Amino acid sequence: MSLILVDDIAKSYGKVVAVDGLSLRVEEGSIMGLIGPNDVGKTTTIKIIVGLLKPDRGFVRVFNEEPWDNPALKSRIGIIHERARFPSHHKVLDYLQRVCRIFGKPESRAREVLALTKLEDAYDRTIKTLSAVMLQKFAIAHAWINQPGLIIADEPTSNLDPEARSDLLDLILKLHHDENVTFLISSDIVPELNKVCDSVAIINQGKVWASGGLTELSERLGARTTRISTDNPEALAGLIRKLEYVSRVEVDSRGVSVGVIGEEDERLYEDVPKLAKKAKARIVGIQSGTASLEELFRLAVRSGKGGGQRWEKADPS
Amino acid sequence: MGKGRPFLEVFTCALNEDYRFPILEILVFLCALCTFVLGGLAAVSGFTTGEAFTHNIVSSSTLPLIILVVIPILKNIAYGLGSDIEKGITQTLFSYPLKRGYILTAKLLSALGIPLLLFLGISIFGLFLLFPDIILANPDTVFLTYAAQLSPVLLAAGLLLLLALRLKRGVLALITGLGLCIVLFVIFDAIVNSLAYTTGSDWSLKIYAVITPNLALQEYYLGTILGFTHKIWVPSFSEVLLYLLAGYLLVALVFTIGYVYFKRGLRI
Repeated sequence: MSLILVDDIAKSYGKVVAVDGLSLRVEEGSIMGLIGPNDVGKTTTIKIIVGLLKPDRGFVRVFNEEPWDNPALKSRIGIIHERARFPSHHKVLDYLQRVCRIFGKPESRAREVLALTKLEDAYDRTIKTLSAVMLQKFAIAHAWINQPGLIIADEPTSNLDPEARSDLLDLILKLHHDENVTFLISSDIVPELNKVCDSVAIINQGKVWASGGLTELSERLGARTTRISTDNPEALAGLIRKLEYVSRVEVDSRGVSVGVIGEEDERLYEDVPKLAKKAKARIVGIQSGTASLEELFRLAVRSGKGGGQRWEKADPS
Repeated sequence: MGKGRPFLEVFTCALNEDYRFPILEILVFLCALCTFVLGGLAAVSGFTTGEAFTHNIVSSSTLPLIILVVIPILKNIAYGLGSDIEKGITQTLFSYPLKRGYILTAKLLSALGIPLLLFLGISIFGLFLLFPDIILANPDTVFLTYAAQLSPVLLAAGLLLLLALRLKRGVLALITGLGLCIVLFVIFDAIVNSLAYTTGSDWSLKIYAVITPNLALQEYYLGTILGFTHKIWVPSFSEVLLYLLAGYLLVALVFTIGYVYFKRGLRI
């Protein structure tokens, strides 16, 4: 069952087109990542889905309901806005207790969600005194207060340090596994989405450039990552970088990860032994696999710049 | 779940943000002080006839109070609402199970309703304590005077609402709103009166009376005391009522535009 169904929406701000013919569907029980470079329409899409903006055209349904100014729907979804802000002079616990009352939940729920987001020490602090990290955690606690079946998050990790980021991703996975919460997460920090998402929609220039499961997308787009284990990774990587068909090269102490698109995978297999000889590197192993999300993201960005966009339309049925 | 609880929670949340200690306490004290001091002064102003005297007492004792009341309205609507939109707090409020119109009503009840309630409660009670016989003898005059005094305040509040929604910046809306209030109620007032007295024509007064119906009411009562020959414009009582109606229609129009914009056009 699709919890979010978006079909051919468009939104312009004056002459600036933010979203142009975007289609998307989020299935129940999934974690979908909405990725793309800055200013490609991610936030506008999220705002349309949560009912903050009306699309100029197109069809949006969340839990099979029109989201615009729909109070009943707000009880079923949790929203984490980018750089979320709250009435600043309230105390943390007081405010969340108020939110409990708004959603008709017992006030004890406020303590539960604060404990879940590790904000127990901040009960008596006023919201304005919270650090950026704490404020983001508070936003997550706030979104989870009504135990929604769907959480929509716009750049939820944007203000977080690496540790807090990791905590948040763990929390997302926990809620997903324990409570079967569906997530739609927009972010331009691709590696972290790679950790939690089971499907992605890559947005570029206001459209969904590609969407689906990671493996499925990699195969469909022909994006592969080849791992070369070697005793001299730096030298080998230097030569591999010069190959025109390589999209990404990452080096660590044990080898090189190379991103390639399409059939170039086989060319790489032919070229690596020659380059290894030149670099005086011994190849220990070579293995190809699914491309990372980052790889797909780069592909989308490059495609957008070149103007050769691909995107797919969600089945409106 | 009904709308009542979420509405009350958003309203009390707005109250907490708008009136942190001791804003409300100072406001109450100043309102009470002004009512008693100015009410006492008005009593020795010289008019003795019934309705005109009642109007004069109510009008002169409440005018400074209105300026006092406009300050929190300016701060809460222009700065408060503008800042809420600017900072993203309105976005958070929109994530609650409440229609946009109710959210705006809750915010306006706090920003506008509370100062007006204070103003009416304290000044009517104070005047009743000072002049019980006069107030009880002319309740219609008291009502008309209050209605005429409040019309420009509500118009200003509506214009501040439009400014805050359009500018979406607290400080900018506050400064622009302050400027607009000064232009509308100080500079225009001076220009209108100068024009009327230099040209001897009443058209400028008539136009301005739509914005400030108290001008029409004041001219009407002064006319009954000084005689028609001493005045540039002396409206009839039915004309006064028409100006009052026009003033409130203007207020209703401005608030309707604000509500429609908040519900349908506000992009956050």
